[in-house]
Amino acid sequence: MSQSLNPRRSSVTPTTARGPRVGVFGAVLLHGAIAAAALFTWQHRLDFTDESPPVVPVDLVTLADKTNIMATVQLKPKIEPKETPPPQLVAPTPVPAATPPPAAEVAPEQAPSQPVIAKPAPIPKPMPKPQPPADQKKPKTDDFSALLNKLTAPTASPRNARVAERTVKGVGAMNAMTMDLSDALKNMIAQCWNPPVGAPHPERLIPVFRLFLNPDGSVAQPPQLAADSAAAAAGDPFMRAAAEAARRAIYTCAPYKLPADKYNVWRVINFDFDPSKMVQ
Amino acid sequence: MKPSRLLRAIAAAATLGTLLAASPARAELHVTVDQGNAQPLPIAIPDFASPNAADAAAGQNIAKVVRADLERSGLFRSLDPKSFIEKITNINVAPQFGSWRVINAQALVSGQVQSQPDGRLRVDFRLWDVFGESQMIGQQYFTTPDNWRRIAHIISDAIYQRITGEKGYFDTRVVFISESGPALARKKRLAVMDEDGANPIFLTHGEYLVLTPRFNPTAQMIAYMSYISAKPRVYLFDLESGHQEMLGNFPNMTFSPRFSPDGNKVALTLETAGNSDIYVMDLRTRALTRLTSDPGIDTAPSYSPDGTQITFESDRGGSQQIYVMSANGSGQHRVSFGAGRNGTPVWSPRGDLIAFTNQSGGFHIGVMHPDGSGVRIVTNGWEDEGPTWAPNGRVIMFGRTSPGGRGSQIWSIDVTGRNERRVTTPGDASDPAWSPLIQ
Repeated sequence: MSQSLNPRRSSVTPTTARGPRVGVFGAVLLHGAIAAAALFTWQHRLDFTDESPPVVPVDLVTLADKTNIMATVQLKPKIEPKETPPPQLVAPTPVPAATPPPAAEVAPEQAPSQPVIAKPAPIPKPMPKPQPPADQKKPKTDDFSALLNKLTAPTASPRNARVAERTVKGVGAMNAMTMDLSDALKNMIAQCWNPPVGAPHPERLIPVFRLFLNPDGSVAQPPQLAADSAAAAAGDPFMRAAAEAARRAIYTCAPYKLPADKYNVWRVINFDFDPSKMVQ
Repeated sequence: MKPSRLLRAIAAAATLGTLLAASPARAELHVTVDQGNAQPLPIAIPDFASPNAADAAAGQNIAKVVRADLERSGLFRSLDPKSFIEKITNINVAPQFGSWRVINAQALVSGQVQSQPDGRLRVDFRLWDVFGESQMIGQQYFTTPDNWRRIAHIISDAIYQRITGEKGYFDTRVVFISESGPALARKKRLAVMDEDGANPIFLTHGEYLVLTPRFNPTAQMIAYMSYISAKPRVYLFDLESGHQEMLGNFPNMTFSPRFSPDGNKVALTLETAGNSDIYVMDLRTRALTRLTSDPGIDTAPSYSPDGTQITFESDRGGSQQIYVMSANGSGQHRVSFGAGRNGTPVWSPRGDLIAFTNQSGGFHIGVMHPDGSGVRIVTNGWEDEGPTWAPNGRVIMFGRTSPGGRGSQIWSIDVTGRNERRVTTPGDASDPAWSPLIQ
């Protein structure tokens, strides 16, 4: 067995050429072939990296708190003590083995899309990424918002947060791209929206707007207030104020920086402005 | 090995790409925005125009008071007039909205002041939606020139109401206890001022101790407790006429008065034989009705805005807590179960909340729903007590004492816990009570 394996190795790995029996011509040919193969793969890897950015919009730094993409620090200590010994030895294979606890909670179908990137120390690396957005948010908001946050119960408790793949179903065209767009828009608007804080029954003050955008992200025409929202606003000064605040948010945030090649996805956007989670 | 992996990767990418390209965005993008950035609304309020040079000062003064009012609410940010590009000279012509959008104004107020042949002042104003390029509200007032300040407050209320949906509270007054002198010989005088601290007036001279002034919700009348002749009694003071009278002549102490929402009754505490209970007096017939008869101390009654219920504090359960009962005294039940002791409950004019003083560690102002749920402590001072509601139920004023005996002050805070501000008073002040909107 070992004899039959050795020649194969010698043919694949030129550095272990064993002796004078291997002809010089053969060696040169092999070297050339390997060099060509290496170049070939290198070029295509470059192609891959070039292609990937447009698929995942880069502006989407801050993810919504509600998506199950959120990772937490608490999970880290729980997993690490159990799994630190094996991963170092079984570096190539542990990917599926190391992630099963979190992966089982999340959509399992998405696991195959990331095997190559996830290989080196899969859990620690993704962790820090989701955190900066949370940190970015705080300095931007003023004391008022901090107080509001204090008042509302933290709904997304870290314990429930799950580590998931980026592809999550459930929004718009049901793919990761619209999820990212949705999160991006949500975070853009959140910075511009001055919600009707302190108004009574905020759960009833949810104006719905339909927004048409130009390819450059500017507002194409005045945003349309949904019929039932408009009816409510006609009879309720609080709803009218809420609708006007939402419309101001839409204008203030324009133009919207969104991936141009996905214009067909974000050309028309429906916004629900729900203040009920911000104030009681 | 490498080529095969490469091929697989290419195939996977191609498949993914095909899927992405093939999945049509037929369903429109739907975004639920549930987080916002609660910031003051940028509003531009240029000086009110005046066709006559003689009215220029009034135009500037009115705009200044409106700016201060809205800014003080914490919901508006008045933009610096120096940044204004367009100078509005005629409020009957639509402004150039583009020049206001450039400076990030989201709302614009244009106004005009003009003396009339009969000596009165005519004040017009329009509120514009800068993005929508439309007028949101426009009003006109006539008044005597010395009344310009009230007109400014009324305009502020109109703007506030149009933009928030909520009634304003700028055209109101606050009655309070003005304190002066050394701690051992503290002089406490009953005083009243405009909501913004202007026009303070002392109503008593300070020879008697006065406490717990309370506004009649329908008129400019105050009920308060005074130690005239060393007997603590409840008195009524008519702000319009200056008339003062004692509310009933009881052998024992009466205190913590509070008007009913219709202003026809006063609930108060009457102490008999060492037991304090809550009574209600009909102001027209002066008939007294007993509402509680518990051996504990029942005090600090406050009506619900519909007049059907009363909240009060009692130590019948062992510690000072907040209770609610029907206006006839039936159905008494405890509603506060939070940490520490809770007292001085005051029902919001909006009806949705009860403000109170919480004592656990320090004294803090809290709010809760009338059933005791949703408790939130909104202030974090060393000793904050005695809340009183703005007539729109959105802002709370309270007395604050700092550690080290550095005197007491009046502060205000939004019901959401935002926008804590000190209220300007002449010297030390405590125990504020907010008036209804002036009729």
